[in-house]
Amino acid sequence: MTSKPNFNIPASHYVDALRRNGIDYFVTVPDWVQLALHLRIEAGEPGITNVPCCNEEQAVAVAAGLWMGGKKPIVVVQNQGMHACINSIRTVGNDVRAPIVFLIGQFGREFANFGQDPTESRRSTVRYLEPVLHAMDIRSWRLESEEDMPKFDEAFRYAWTESRPAALLVGAPTGWN
Amino acid sequence: MMNIISACNVILSARKDAVLVATMGSMVAMDTLGAQQPRVSSVPLMGGAPGLGLGLALAHPERKVIVVDGDASLLMQLGNLVTVASNRPANLYHFLICNGTQFSGMSNLPVPGRARTDYCAMARAAGYTDALEFSQEDKFSSAIQEILNGNGPRFISLNVEPDPPKFSAQSPQQDWSDLQFTRMHNEARALSKWLAEKSLVAA
Repeated sequence: MTSKPNFNIPASHYVDALRRNGIDYFVTVPDWVQLALHLRIEAGEPGITNVPCCNEEQAVAVAAGLWMGGKKPIVVVQNQGMHACINSIRTVGNDVRAPIVFLIGQFGREFANFGQDPTESRRSTVRYLEPVLHAMDIRSWRLESEEDMPKFDEAFRYAWTESRPAALLVGAPTGWN
Repeated sequence: MMNIISACNVILSARKDAVLVATMGSMVAMDTLGAQQPRVSSVPLMGGAPGLGLGLALAHPERKVIVVDGDASLLMQLGNLVTVASNRPANLYHFLICNGTQFSGMSNLPVPGRARTDYCAMARAAGYTDALEFSQEDKFSSAIQEILNGNGPRFISLNVEPDPPKFSAQSPQQDWSDLQFTRMHNEARALSKWLAEKSLVAA
């Protein structure tokens, strides 16, 4: 008998991954899916500065400024936020080629879709995320269970080696452990 | 009333080695005035300059960052006032070229809220340490050094006369130069290199 996969990747594993990849700025417009991670960062993680922004276009610009200044930011948003900031990503990610990694929660994904293909979700904000990223030549990796966490490091390696944006898609609410 | 060149010239006269983030009309004015490194342009990215400036200011708190925004650009990302103020960059100076027009010097379409919107009141309410407004070059010129000596984030609204529109049936739009779409890529890398070299020297 196989055990049921755990879709709720612990927030502590995300913090470990941020540290492993040398992230020093957490630039964000909060995401419902990643609330457990947000609260950990809000509470204070040494060496990681939380930079809250009013919307995602601003978050992309702030991250670009940090990168130009020699820092290593991550942009943490939800899928609706990604849809809202396409113009900034086009400039900063695709034209400027800033190596910005996005951690994007699949807000609104029906729990029945866990373990299924998110592009078959009945909610448009979930269903369109990967096709939109693909249309913008942005590589993405799904984080569906703990076994996927090595993809976190792979996305950073890709972004910083190729000087390209990259997207990590958080498929289910982050675990509170 | 000032024009955009005279307003930008006052800023440059006191800039020293502050990082300059300009956008749209102010970018062109700074080009005309020969502004050099350290600088980056938010282009084509209306609304992006305050965020870029904030990121640079957080990354280099030891260095002043001057953002030269436009009223139409700020209106596209008005929440930037709160994003900047809430992150409290003491080294950020946010100038606003306020000419009341969009596509200024091209078609001069009116910006929403022209002559009614009080940007300084908005900046103060958002939490900037100070907000000042100037229309006369001599008064702005007398105040600029003291402005840059104070703790930010500070907001300075500059009322400028828009350049006359140049487009018409007899003089329609021409193609954009590729530079408009490639310069930010090159400037970002050049600025990054400049800042890294200065940091090494300081260390």
